[in-house]
Amino acid sequence: MLVANRGEIALRIIRACREEGLESVAVYSEADARSSHVAAADAAVPVGPPPAAESYLNINRLLEAARSSGADAIHPGYGFLAERAEFADAVAEAGLVFIGPPADAIRAMGEKTTARRRMRASGVTVVPGTTEPVADADEAARTASDIGYPVLLKAVAGGGGKGMRRVDAEREVRAAFQQASSEALKSFGNGDVYIERFVERPRHVEIQVLADRHGTTVHFGERECSVQRRYQKLIEEAPSPVVDQELREGMGAAAVRAAEAVGYVGAGTVEFLLEPNREFYFLEMNTRIQVEHPITELVYGVDLVRQQLRIAAGARIDRTDVPERPHGHTIECRITAEDPFDGFLPSTGAVRYLNVPTGPGVRWDGGIAAGESVGLFYDPLLAKLIVWGETRPAAMSRMRRALDELMIVGVATSQPFHRRVLNHKPFLDGDYDIGYVETHADSLLSAEEPLEDLERIAVAAALAEHERRHAAVPVRLHDAQCDGSTDSAWLRAARRDGRR
Amino acid sequence: MKYEVVVGGRPFVVEIGDGVTVDGRTATGHLYAIPHTPLFQLEMDGRITPVALTREAGGWELHVGGRVWNAVVVDERTRQLRALSGGGKTGAGGGVVKAPMPGMILRLQVEEGQSVKRGVGLVVLEAMKMENEIRAPEDGVVVRIYAELGRAVEKGAPLVELGPSS
Repeated sequence: MLVANRGEIALRIIRACREEGLESVAVYSEADARSSHVAAADAAVPVGPPPAAESYLNINRLLEAARSSGADAIHPGYGFLAERAEFADAVAEAGLVFIGPPADAIRAMGEKTTARRRMRASGVTVVPGTTEPVADADEAARTASDIGYPVLLKAVAGGGGKGMRRVDAEREVRAAFQQASSEALKSFGNGDVYIERFVERPRHVEIQVLADRHGTTVHFGERECSVQRRYQKLIEEAPSPVVDQELREGMGAAAVRAAEAVGYVGAGTVEFLLEPNREFYFLEMNTRIQVEHPITELVYGVDLVRQQLRIAAGARIDRTDVPERPHGHTIECRITAEDPFDGFLPSTGAVRYLNVPTGPGVRWDGGIAAGESVGLFYDPLLAKLIVWGETRPAAMSRMRRALDELMIVGVATSQPFHRRVLNHKPFLDGDYDIGYVETHADSLLSAEEPLEDLERIAVAAALAEHERRHAAVPVRLHDAQCDGSTDSAWLRAARRDGRR
Repeated sequence: MKYEVVVGGRPFVVEIGDGVTVDGRTATGHLYAIPHTPLFQLEMDGRITPVALTREAGGWELHVGGRVWNAVVVDERTRQLRALSGGGKTGAGGGVVKAPMPGMILRLQVEEGQSVKRGVGLVVLEAMKMENEIRAPEDGVVVRIYAELGRAVEKGAPLVELGPSS
């Protein structure tokens, strides 16, 4: 199995291969030669320079790596080439097995307007809006007035919030169209944009589906992914605090219909917007394994990545293996190299120390080890911290405990944001929607820290300085690498202060 | 020995002798190094907090509870000398808006001489394939534009200088 990815998902897949008795081949860019996923694989092949376009997105290099290593199959993970139909085609043409759905299913769901047409035809409710791209800024303005503001401009080839703009009034629509279109062109090589009604403050709830090659499609309930910032998910939980068994079955059935409508095979995710009145709309289908798949695994007792491997090898899904409802509760916090108190700006540097939380009910899906560097070439996701508890409060409490244990030294991470959320009453009450982070930005993203905590930090700094000056034998305190880069902590601090 | 520590924009006076006082309040405080790691255990008033400490020019970088702090530590004598000579205070960076991250200048949305309100987009910076609009931090007049269309900039590079609004 060649794993055409990096970071935590590459490691996740390599682990699944090992457990299935399959040999794995890692690929790596020049920036990743000493990464965790390379160390974990049975073999590893370099695929080019650090920029993804020249390595992890380079189809020819990846196929060549598969040939040279004797791989029979390719797992794309998520991101990079996972949802590029031409990659699935190229893999098949090279006589290899693609771990994912047929290229046609990727194409049908990847083209958001095509997907909307197909869903409507198969009786799955979509968000009101166009099922064709809009031609230009003028048409965008006309269509938006017809639908009624606010509207959302979305890239036809899109995903992950790229090429997406909310528009509240007619005077903004032309600039937004230009931005969305140019961003879409750059990110996906396709500048087409369509328009849908902006659903006010829904929840983002998605259904995990699994389909075999023999016509059986099942679902594994929902994941609640409403804690987002700029369409990037930050925290997920399962089950959703607002989905009961009846709604779960309704959404699950719709998700299965959606998958069947495009001839889906393997693991996939159908995303819905859920309104407070329990109406739900098809948003899109992610035709790959999802970042947040582990929370489903924990409450349904399934290994989705191993299921992907087995389904690709022709295995049948046994419906009696699929639990009717989730067991217990799980939460996932995405630990990213971003500073939540500085606008989630990416943070770079070497991880000098890492203490991973352990103990009952804790799972760490990471792709970073102490000594590794975090750069700007790739996604800032370092790891996913996942916990399981018997009940939602038990899971919350366990996540707080796990976040206390986690220590990452060397880069700023989203960890302190997660600690705030896990102590925030609206979240603990399950009272949140996709506007949550924005609504509570004052308390969640404020750089302020309680005075008592600052005092402890001041004492620690003074004690360290005192010891440095007075110790008979100098205490070995780690010196930072002064490489003259513009990224020193002092500049960061100065910038933060300057902005206040 | 008396130290002034500035952390999170707030000054603290910490005196270390036989015991520790913080802003005049007596506390117990010890710092224990954990060998072969950048970690220390801070024991203060009986509570243990794991802290990672790294020395950097002029102070310390601390990782506590997932947050990174930069603490400037100055002993009392140095602080007094600086106060007398008027040093130690640096002017604010004027009204220069800097690149918050490395990226490429995709669009310039203002012109020199233009008045802008707080929150108005000045420059669009592309980083990690996302378009990031850099907005005016306060009302002002565009005095100078440093950013050049299509050029890559480093983090911290000046983009636009704002002067006081007339």
